[in-house]
Amino acid sequence: MKQKFKRNFEELQNIVTMTEVLFREEGLPPGLRNVVDLATEELFVNMVTYNTETDADILIQMTPHTHGVEVSLTDYDVERFDPTGAGPIDVDAPLDERTPGGLGLYLVLKMVDSIHYEYRNRQSTITFIVDRK
Amino acid sequence: MFEIELRDAGTVVVEGRLDAAQAVKAQTFLDQVAGQCVLDLEKLEYISSAGLGVLLKTHKRLMGSGSGIKLINVNHHIHDIFRYSGFDKLFEIVPMRG
Repeated sequence: MKQKFKRNFEELQNIVTMTEVLFREEGLPPGLRNVVDLATEELFVNMVTYNTETDADILIQMTPHTHGVEVSLTDYDVERFDPTGAGPIDVDAPLDERTPGGLGLYLVLKMVDSIHYEYRNRQSTITFIVDRK
Repeated sequence: MFEIELRDAGTVVVEGRLDAAQAVKAQTFLDQVAGQCVLDLEKLEYISSAGLGVLLKTHKRLMGSGSGIKLINVNHHIHDIFRYSGFDKLFEIVPMRG
C-alpha cells in the first residue's frame, strides 16, 4: 500500500487512516499500531519541518512484514539527513534542563525494531520495521 | 479527533489523539491554566513528541509558580512513552486501574 501526502500536519489524520486500513485488511496485530503511528508521525513531521525548499509530496509505503509491518517514507529534493544518527537525549536530566527538542527521533529509535536510511539523487528514504515481540 | 476541556474540580480531561496537528490547540488551552493542574488521560489514545512538548512546557511554567501537572488514568502504551521519555521522573503519574 502506498500513498502520497502533502507537506502539512493536517495530513496526519489521513496517514492514520492509511495505517488503519492496512492493519484491518492484512489482519496485523493491533498492539503494534501505536508504535507504527508514532514512528510514522515523527519521521513525517521531521521531513515537513526541516525540508522547506520543496513542495513535493512525501511518499509513504506500508507493507506487511513477517510478524509486523515495514514502513518507508520518501522525501524528494532534500539535503542528506540521517535520522538514525540522531544524538542521544538525556532523559534523566532534571526538569529545568529538559526541552522537547530531539525527543521524536529518540522515541523512534527506541521503539522500532530496525531502521534504515538511504540517500540518492537528493532523495531520502527512511524505512523502519515494527514486529510483534 | 482531539478534545481538551475543564471538568469538575478543576480536572482537565484530554481525549483522542494528541499529535503534531493538535499540539497548538492543546497548548493554547493549557496556557490558560493556573495553579495545580490534574490532567485526566483516561481517554487519551495516542501521544507523540509534539504532545509531550506541550506537557513539558506547561509543567515547567506551572512548576515555576510552585505547582505543576499531575497525570492520572494513564494507559499502558502512553505510560511506556512517558517512561522512555523520562517523563516518569518529571511528573507525578497515576496509571489507569486494571
